[in-house]
Amino acid sequence: MASSTPPAPAAAPTEDKAAKPVLENPGSMDELHKACKDVFPVNFEGAKIMVNKGLSNHFQISHTLNMSSVTPSGYRFGATYVGTKQFSPTEAFPVLLGDIDPSGNLNANIIHQFSEQVRCKFVAQVQNSKFMASQFSADYRGRDFTSSLTMANIDLINDTGVIVGHYLQSVTPRVALGAELAYQYGAQVPGGQIAILSVAGKYKAPSYTVSGTVGAAGAHLCYWQKSSDQIQFGCELETNLRMQEAVGSVGYQVDLPKANLVFRGTVDSNWTVGAVLEKKLQPLPFTFALSGMLNHPKSQFRLGCGLIIG
Amino acid sequence: MPIDETLAERLIGLTEMLPAPVRTASGKVIQGSVAGVKGAYGLLCSSSWVFFSSAAILFAPLIFEIERTQMEEMHKQQQRQILLGPNAAVSGSMMPPQAAGM
Repeated sequence: MASSTPPAPAAAPTEDKAAKPVLENPGSMDELHKACKDVFPVNFEGAKIMVNKGLSNHFQISHTLNMSSVTPSGYRFGATYVGTKQFSPTEAFPVLLGDIDPSGNLNANIIHQFSEQVRCKFVAQVQNSKFMASQFSADYRGRDFTSSLTMANIDLINDTGVIVGHYLQSVTPRVALGAELAYQYGAQVPGGQIAILSVAGKYKAPSYTVSGTVGAAGAHLCYWQKSSDQIQFGCELETNLRMQEAVGSVGYQVDLPKANLVFRGTVDSNWTVGAVLEKKLQPLPFTFALSGMLNHPKSQFRLGCGLIIG
Repeated sequence: MPIDETLAERLIGLTEMLPAPVRTASGKVIQGSVAGVKGAYGLLCSSSWVFFSSAAILFAPLIFEIERTQMEEMHKQQQRQILLGPNAAVSGSMMPPQAAGM
């Protein structure tokens, strides 16, 4: 090509750059299956009332009442603070999130983006006045890759903990490949320490996404398809070699903006059928949610009904 | 003279006029078909239960909502027609200025 057009050599490098596809950031490993997972309904049981109230532009509180015959009923109070540091129009940092119940069980999240590339997250869980779980993770988002390091339940006194490293790289505009290394050490682990490596891949087309994770413990495959503006399908296969079981499920999501309605349904290979209907009662600031789940072999039915105010 | 056999005993006795292989074969056919019908009925019962209960969870709420929105839309259009005459129903964008004029 350079020989046919003499003045080309000067222009060739820029042309080469233009011809080379621009690789985008593949997103984080946690969000690998997100598109597919979002299609599946989150079923709940019993009655749920949630009141959200914004005290200012940055501060919001919520009250949640849970009434159920299976899980213990109770009240939770939540608070959210969103800071002023903005890197994209949709997100602002730092974010402080927490919720607590009357007996003092607390979940707390701190998320902060220090720069365009670095984001840190700290999660803590206190139960019966003991730190049940704590987790610190740091993400580095490069131009065409994301790497992250997570440290969970690090206990310096008893010398236990879990460390997980992720790396996800865009190979072509559509394909991203990555790996995950999880390392656990402590006295209760056989041999004192254990490391599990798994590989991940993702193929992203405009209307569908295929993603998968394969490791020694099992495989997890997801397929997401957008059929129209209103209908999305998700397909998931999860195998666990240690438990010797595999579960496949199909889900769908229907958005009806005219009716302010989102409907999600799923059927899986355990003969479990579930669906969640979410409807915004438009002139009022209410959202109504109805959940139904039926397990055929166990003849078990769970009905949930929720109202979110604000 | 007292009858020392019931009708069923008489009928069972009568079957002996047929050869033994025919009797056993027909007995097996009848037993098999009874079991088959029972099984098929049970399968039909449980499969239709699974199908309809799943459909009630997965599709019924969605269909209700779609129908309801369509009804609402029709109702709105009818109202517009009553309010502004038949030709106003087609052009929804014409409505606000006219409504203001009234």
